[in-house]
Amino acid sequence: MQDSPQDAAFERQLETWGASQSDAELSPEIRRKVQGILTSSLTPVKPLPSQSRLTLAFLAVFVACTVGLIAIMDKAGFHLMTEAQMASMAAILAGGGILFSLIVAWDMVPGSRQRFPLSLVLALSGFGVLGGIALLFPWRTSGAFVSEGWPCAVMELMIAVPGAAVFWLLARRGALFGGAGVGAAVGGLAVVLALAVLQFRCMFQQAPHLLVWHGGTAAILIGLGALIGEWRRDRWMP
Amino acid sequence: MTRYQRADPAALDELVRRISPPLLRYFGASRVGWNDAEDLLQDCWIRIHRSRHTYRTSEPVMPWIYAIARHTRLDAYRKRRRLESREVLVAALPEHLHQTVPQAAPEQDALEHLVASLPESQREVIVMLKVAGMSLEEVAKATSSTVGAVKQKAHRAYATLRRALGKDQGNAR
Repeated sequence: MQDSPQDAAFERQLETWGASQSDAELSPEIRRKVQGILTSSLTPVKPLPSQSRLTLAFLAVFVACTVGLIAIMDKAGFHLMTEAQMASMAAILAGGGILFSLIVAWDMVPGSRQRFPLSLVLALSGFGVLGGIALLFPWRTSGAFVSEGWPCAVMELMIAVPGAAVFWLLARRGALFGGAGVGAAVGGLAVVLALAVLQFRCMFQQAPHLLVWHGGTAAILIGLGALIGEWRRDRWMP
Repeated sequence: MTRYQRADPAALDELVRRISPPLLRYFGASRVGWNDAEDLLQDCWIRIHRSRHTYRTSEPVMPWIYAIARHTRLDAYRKRRRLESREVLVAALPEHLHQTVPQAAPEQDALEHLVASLPESQREVIVMLKVAGMSLEEVAKATSSTVGAVKQKAHRAYATLRRALGKDQGNAR
């Protein structure tokens, strides 16, 4: 890394310091205490499945819940959307589901290599959903914007909350240290599930309605997920 | 680690014996007292123990351990900040780690003080690289960061240390 003799001397000094630090001795009482605590609860454990299998598990639950809920609910949106709108929104929401599944699966294992951060996934999903709605759907509103909108917000909440509970139960199999990050990722996955179901159910396929009542509620729910994650951090940490 | 997951007590003893000293130094480098560093170590071992099923044998063990240690340290820091915001300060200052550990050579002692004065994120990277002997990739995994970001932090820390050491040596002459 360094070329000059001063740099080489500095590097040597740093190496010597590092070696002297790692040689530090742990007091025997502390070592005995730690070993005593751990040995008393030492039982065989089954390692978690691989990262790809964890991600697939989240995706399978995501797809099963989405398909199941769409099948049992009203499908007005399905008939109102054009093929292009349907294909684009399905692709965007499926992409969001995959990205959030990856993030939650990484969060379950400490020291996982996170190939991209949660902030990027939130930004990509946000731009994808809001941009898709803004570009694909007509910009018109009916007179009853609020009375038509709030039932969609309530429905999104009613789908996202149990969805988040299911994903959280799955995620708890790992070691969740993240707090707000885990809350936002689990919330994000549940919100994408709710958005997908609502997209096919909603009979108001106009950009202002979708942006405010679907997109706006989604942003609030992800924020709430982050807050709950931070608030309950001590409860679900190993 | 695999033997530890299979509940082999000898493997646990060996792991505690080998990994505790660098972990203790890692906690000590966060400018907490010696007793606090030992408490953090115990807390960290309990978390390692409860999370042992999340370790995969195909992965290196150090990023996994240090990721848990990092969360232990951050949580303790948050807890301390919460407590400090509620308590009234008294005159007595907490004991410092470098006052209670065996004294090193003067130049090593100077380096230790300089490392302790680095910003938290840079100090953490230096301790993981030089004390724990981890690679850039492993530090990136342990800190949920990228290799580029770790390199940048290490580079900045080296530049600060080199500059400060140069100044110290100049003053000594």
